[in-house]
Amino acid sequence: MSATAVERPARVPDGMRRELAGRVGRAAWRAGRAELRKNLANPGGLVVSGLFLLVVAGMLAALWSAAAEANGGAVAGYTAAALVWYVTISEITTISQRMQFIDELGDDIGSGRVETALLRPVPMVVLLWAAQVGGALPRLAACCLGGLPLAAVIAGAPPSWPAAALAIPATLLAVTINITGQHVFAAAAFWLRNARATWFVYQKLVFVLGGMLLPLEVLPDWLESIAQWLPFMAMAYVPARLAAGYVEPELLFVQAFWLVALATIAIIVFARGERRLVEAGA
Amino acid sequence: MNTLRGLRRTWFGAIANSWANRRSFWSQAAVMILNDLIWVVFWVIFFDRLGEVRGWELRDVLVLQAILATGAGITLGFFNNSRQLGRLIAEGQLDEALALPVPALPYLLVRRIEPINIGDVAFGVAVFAVMGEPTPLRTLAFVAAVAISAITLGAFLVLAGSTAFLGGRSDGSELGFHSVVLFASYPVDVFGGAMKILLFTMIPAGFITAIPTRFVRDLEIELAMAAAGVAILLVALAALAFRAGLRRYTSGALWTAA
Repeated sequence: MSATAVERPARVPDGMRRELAGRVGRAAWRAGRAELRKNLANPGGLVVSGLFLLVVAGMLAALWSAAAEANGGAVAGYTAAALVWYVTISEITTISQRMQFIDELGDDIGSGRVETALLRPVPMVVLLWAAQVGGALPRLAACCLGGLPLAAVIAGAPPSWPAAALAIPATLLAVTINITGQHVFAAAAFWLRNARATWFVYQKLVFVLGGMLLPLEVLPDWLESIAQWLPFMAMAYVPARLAAGYVEPELLFVQAFWLVALATIAIIVFARGERRLVEAGA
Repeated sequence: MNTLRGLRRTWFGAIANSWANRRSFWSQAAVMILNDLIWVVFWVIFFDRLGEVRGWELRDVLVLQAILATGAGITLGFFNNSRQLGRLIAEGQLDEALALPVPALPYLLVRRIEPINIGDVAFGVAVFAVMGEPTPLRTLAFVAAVAISAITLGAFLVLAGSTAFLGGRSDGSELGFHSVVLFASYPVDVFGGAMKILLFTMIPAGFITAIPTRFVRDLEIELAMAAAGVAILLVALAALAFRAGLRRYTSGALWTAA
C-alpha cells in the first residue's frame, strides 16, 4: 500500500453517512426531550419565568407608553399599542433564554469538566444545542402565558393579525437563533478558559443591537444601519416588529439566513476548540 | 465589642480573599463597568429622542443610575450574601454561621465579597462626578442618598431571602432581587397609580432610587428623612423576619438527615 493511500482519509459510504446522521439526530432529539421534561418537572421555575416576564414587560410597556405619550402618541413610527406589543414579544424571546449558559459552559471548558462530553460518539455542540432548545420551550410557553394577556390588557388586540401570525414562527426562530449564537460566543472559552466577559457582552449586544430594549428605529441612524446587518436583530427585533403590526414576511428569510450562518460557525469553532482541547489539554 | 471585632475580622478576611487574585478582581470589575455603561447608552439614546418624560430628563436619570450603581454595588459587592441568603437557607447551609459566637445574620452578610459589584461602585461614583453636576452640597446629598439606597436594598434582600424559611425554595428571593433592581433602574413616574403604590410598599424600589434622586436634585431634607425612616423600618423588619425564620430552619448536612 502506498504512503499516499494511507494518508488519504477513507471515504465514508453514503449509507453509513446517512446512518451516522440518523444517530446524531436521534441523540439530539433525546437530549432535547430530556431537558424539556426536566423543565416541565419544575413548575416552580416556570412560574418564576412567567412572573419575571410580567414584571419586565410591564415595566418596559409603562416606559414606552409614557414615551409615546410625551412624543405626540408615537415613537419612530410605533404607536403606544405597537410599542407595548413590541416590548412584550422582545422580552418573551429573551427571558425564555438562559444566557448564563455561556458562562457555565465557559466554566466547564476552563475547569476541564467538559472532557467527559467529548467521549460521547456525537458532536458535543449538537447535544448542547438540542438540550438548550428543549429547555427553552417550556420557558417560552410560560413567558407567553404571562406576557400575551398582559399586552392584550394594556394595548388591546395585536395591531395586525397577519403580522401577529408571522410573529409566531419568528419567535420560535428567534429563540433558536439566540441559542445558536450563544454557542458561537461560548466557544471563546476554548481559547480564553472563561466566558464571563463574553456572556456579559453578548447579553448587552442582544439588549441594544438586538432591539430587546428599544426598536432599532429609535437608535441613531448610523447605529441602526449597523444593527440591521448583525445577527442580534434576528433574536428579538424581528418577532417584536412583526408583533407590532408590520407585515414584513421577508424578515423570516433574514432569520433563516442567520440561523444557518450561526449554526455553521458554531460547528466550525467547536470542532476547532475541541481539537485544541484534545491536543493541549484543559 | 468582641462581636464587632469578630465581624470586622470576617469582613477583612473576605476582602483579602477576593483581593488575592487581583487580575480576576480587576477584570470582573471592568466587565461590570462595561455592563453599566450600556444602560447609560440606552438612556442617552432614549432621552436624545424624547427630551423629557413625565418630568424626568437625562440628567435626572443619570443621577438615578449613579445612586443605584453605587448603592447596589456596596450592598452586593461588600455584603454579597444579602442576595445569596435565600439560596443558603433553602440549601440548609447556615449551620456554620449558627455555631459561631457572633450573630448569624451580620456574620453571613459580611462573609462574602463579590468583586464584580465593586465595579458598580466605581462606575456610580464616576457617573456622578462627570454628569451629576457635583457641588459640595450635592456631593454630601449624594453620599446620604447612596447610604439610604444601600441600606434599603440590603434590608429588602434579607426580607426576600427570609421567605425561603417558609417554602424551602429560593425562587421568591431571586424574583424579589431582580424585581427590585429592575424597578429601581427606571424613573418611578412612568408607572401608573397601582404600580406606583407597589413600588413604595411591596417592592420598595421608589425608596432605593426615586426618592434619593429627588433629594439630590431638589435638596429637600424631608425627602431624605422619610427615606431614612423607611430604611430603618426595613432593617428592623428584616432582622425580625430572619430571627423568626431561624426557628423553621432545617440543616442540609447529610449527618442531620441520617
